[in-house]
Amino acid sequence: MSFQTTPIVSGDTYEMAHRFAREVEQELAGIADPAAQAAILEKRWAQLTALGWTVTAIPEEAGGAGGDLGELAALAGGAGRAGLALPIASACGVVPALLAGQAALADVAHGAMRVAVILPGAAQDDPAGALRGGATLDGAVVGIETPPTPTHLLIVLEAPEPLMLLVPVTTPGIESASYLRIDGRMAADFRFAAIPINPSWVLARGPAVLQRAAAARDLGALLTCIECVAAMGALLEQTIQYLLNRVQFGAPLASYQALRHRVADMYVEYESLRGITARALRAAAQGEGEPWQAIAFAKLRLGEAGRAVAESAIQAHGGMGMTEELPAIRLCKRLMMADFEYGNRVFQAARLLADAA
Amino acid sequence: MDAATINYEAFREEVRDFALTRCPPEIRAVVATYRKLSRKVWYPWQRILFEHGWGAPSWPREFGGTGWDQRQRVIFDEVMAECDCPPQYHHGLRHLGPVIIEFGTPEQQARFLPGILNGEDWWCQGYSEPGAGSDLASLRTTARLEGDEYVVEGQKTWTSHAHESDWMYTLVRTSKEVKKQQGISLLLIPLNSPGITIRPIRTIDGWHHVNEVFLDQVRVPVANRIGAEGQGWTYGKFLLERERLGGANIAPHHKALERVRALVAQELKGEGRRAERELLQHRLLRAEAELLGASELGRESVEAVIEGRALGMLPAVIKLSTSVTMQTISQVALDAVGERLAPRFRRIEGEGPNAEAPGIEWVQNYMYARVRTIYGGSSEVQKNVIAKQLFGM
Repeated sequence: MSFQTTPIVSGDTYEMAHRFAREVEQELAGIADPAAQAAILEKRWAQLTALGWTVTAIPEEAGGAGGDLGELAALAGGAGRAGLALPIASACGVVPALLAGQAALADVAHGAMRVAVILPGAAQDDPAGALRGGATLDGAVVGIETPPTPTHLLIVLEAPEPLMLLVPVTTPGIESASYLRIDGRMAADFRFAAIPINPSWVLARGPAVLQRAAAARDLGALLTCIECVAAMGALLEQTIQYLLNRVQFGAPLASYQALRHRVADMYVEYESLRGITARALRAAAQGEGEPWQAIAFAKLRLGEAGRAVAESAIQAHGGMGMTEELPAIRLCKRLMMADFEYGNRVFQAARLLADAA
Repeated sequence: MDAATINYEAFREEVRDFALTRCPPEIRAVVATYRKLSRKVWYPWQRILFEHGWGAPSWPREFGGTGWDQRQRVIFDEVMAECDCPPQYHHGLRHLGPVIIEFGTPEQQARFLPGILNGEDWWCQGYSEPGAGSDLASLRTTARLEGDEYVVEGQKTWTSHAHESDWMYTLVRTSKEVKKQQGISLLLIPLNSPGITIRPIRTIDGWHHVNEVFLDQVRVPVANRIGAEGQGWTYGKFLLERERLGGANIAPHHKALERVRALVAQELKGEGRRAERELLQHRLLRAEAELLGASELGRESVEAVIEGRALGMLPAVIKLSTSVTMQTISQVALDAVGERLAPRFRRIEGEGPNAEAPGIEWVQNYMYARVRTIYGGSSEVQKNVIAKQLFGM
């Protein structure tokens, strides 16, 4: 028997999420047209909402299921194992965390509101054109992960005053361009041209907003790590299967020591990420030590291990590793993209270094 | 006492208090500055532990051990590392003792265990040979039975501490007629026996740890054989099984990381060296992330052993990962001090003009760290082990 991974959090939720994600993956696999892919994601998003994924961590009094972090982790792990191309960490974790205690949470819970999150420091093409507040919203952000057809933007601004805004996407003056990312997820660029800030958009203001945004970003980073541990485990299994089946020079590739050792290295990276992610999950669930540090270290490790494992898997698949044919290679793209969500390895290293100084 | 009634945090405090008050400062200084741990350093500390009843944390109570459970032993090792006490890694205590307890006769137990426990007898391990390294079962040192004695002929190598030991527990070939693992026996050989020559091996770190041991017609009483003839390989495996948590203690690695972090801050002070400092700090941060991952795997290993579950690939993964991380840490240290200290590398501790240059130990540590991916199952062997499990072939 060749290798099978064990999930960080197993159980019915994990299994259900994995089944759903695998169906989506199989449905998307045969389709090359981005518009057709987006249509599938739209349909699947409606199903996922109907199944109650997005209310998992919302308290019962706000219309949610009142699940804990373990429940979210099971969802993220199951979805991650098949590289689900929908924003699980954002919709199930980050958005409910940012909107905790807000009336809007109920609209998110029953699916009427689809939220894309824009946190401080969001990327832009021109640093001079960074998104800023004041009397009006101005500037631009790019590469923002979105659910299919977002209805609202949840924007956290740092300056001149920390603000959390919930802005309808249809507001005049917002221009958007949406597209699919390298890992098949939906993203968009948003441009804001002198849009007066409507007082009804303001959900919160003051320094507490930034604390909440930082905590929500960390939750996003943690769930991304959990997703990626599962993705990496599946990638390892699939790479092993490929090498067992593919025969060259009269022998399975799995018999060549150069490849066997490369796969052993992948496994060490996988276990290392699994260990540090389990540690971060425990820290976050139990408030053990400094959860943000545990998460930052895990996300840093994800950047390192994710890149190493994805690159090795592509190499191990040879020419097939350069194609979009195989589920394994789609997982590679997911691992590469995940580094850039909720603070990449450079961001995480920088904040850990700043803290140590 | 069962686990439910042990207060592990109180135990940790008790061990810490003992370590900090009873381990002599000069001994802790040797550990803290990575100077060579010799019998001269180890013995007095073993004596102190023995007199406190802590001479053998891993032995059962009836043989003078502490009777601690697995979790207490892990805590003990962690605290020892945190407090810069010498790791209790004596070959007699950790390796041979448990084999004698399990497979020795009552006479052998009475004769050998007390000296191991109180530190009066010092042991080394005669396993590797010039032609039998990673492939240990190919060993060729022979023992021929003559009356009630074996006559041993051959050569051992990489024998740590042979130059300061009284005894060598030795794997020898007693039969060539069977499968290579089955013709091996375990003999206890006094190192003052006629026919033994010990020669130091000069290693790249300038320290004297290892030796070649030549055995020329060495006569060993049959009474010094542990267990049955031809079963030596089984005892060796038993020993490895006992030691499978050996790599799970990551406390010494964290300690090394903290030291190098302080070294970098000290060595590359000031605004003018900021870029260099931050580059090295970044590498240490990545190493720390690797260690945190390994610590968690170490934790899982301890839990698995306590619950009697199989460890699977965990020991190999931890060994592979932490050995490289320790090398990385030593590389960062060398990068911090190398321009100042690499030219002044000292060959033998305590001698020569550069012996006291501040931080000189990091040059030696860097050289020594190369062995981490070679000994205890080289990285290549560990990868073979992992790949076999992963591929099921």
